[in-house]
Amino acid sequence: MSESSMTRPHATAAHHTSLGVDNRKLGVWAFIGSETLFFATLITTYFVFAPVNRMRPDFQDPREFLDIELTTVLASILLASSLTMVLALSASRRGDRRWFTTWLLATVGLGLAFIGGQAYEFNHLYHEGLTLSSSLFGTTFFVLTGFHGTHVAIGVIWLLSVFFKVRAYPDSPENAMDVEIAGLYWHFVDLVWVAIFVLVYLI
Amino acid sequence: MAGHHEEHSSHAHGEHSHSDRFYWLVAGVLAVVTALEVGLFIVNEQHLIAKWLEVTLLLILSTIKGAAVVMFFMHLKGDAGIFKFVFLVPLAFATTLLLSFMVLFSGHVGIAG
Repeated sequence: MSESSMTRPHATAAHHTSLGVDNRKLGVWAFIGSETLFFATLITTYFVFAPVNRMRPDFQDPREFLDIELTTVLASILLASSLTMVLALSASRRGDRRWFTTWLLATVGLGLAFIGGQAYEFNHLYHEGLTLSSSLFGTTFFVLTGFHGTHVAIGVIWLLSVFFKVRAYPDSPENAMDVEIAGLYWHFVDLVWVAIFVLVYLI
Repeated sequence: MAGHHEEHSSHAHGEHSHSDRFYWLVAGVLAVVTALEVGLFIVNEQHLIAKWLEVTLLLILSTIKGAAVVMFFMHLKGDAGIFKFVFLVPLAFATTLLLSFMVLFSGHVGIAG
């Protein structure tokens, strides 16, 4: 028996459900469904307290603090990372290790760039006087965007762990599914930013 | 690199794949829509159109972006129905939650306060 046949992961029959789908993928989609409700709650809280913020003596106007230029760059970074992620999945399915490595690490790099940009934004806002406790706007804004940034950080760790696990045989059914479900999470994080970008920064 | 990979379907997993060229095309559309969103925001700082119209257009544009990500990057379009169910039902519930609370609390500062 060759070394490759001993170490290459085999078919994913053990992961199939009675519904005929992979149970890990089903679990990730269900998790994404619950995360949708989680972020909807945070966004709803932001909007519910927006008029209350305006009535309070510690009112801080979002338009005076939020920087549309920086946020547009961050939105573009996350959208670009969704492209590199889906290209990494495509490369993994066809067994192209070189491009799989390139695109997956590019996704990780873009994720780190997003986190760096958000850290810069938070630091800038803090020095402008907007903090977690300075006003209702500060509280709801930092909780919402902070949780999103945390999800991006978790996504980067997830992608790196998947990369080191599957890089030898990215095209095996088991490993391609690992890449796919990590990608689903990553695209969801991008999806949340699509909503935050328009609802918090543009409207 | 990308051009020679023909579109194919991976029926073993129930999902549909596209060519790399298609993904680049989707990304290009997403970039254009994002530019339209930001352009609309910047242009309307001069209050050229009504706020309600600006908000409506921004929501339409962001919905297009979100739908493209879900359908093509997450491959939900053409994937198994159970995946659509476990995502779209919470999404519908979340949208209802957001709209309901907006209606309940708009103009009723005292309730939230």
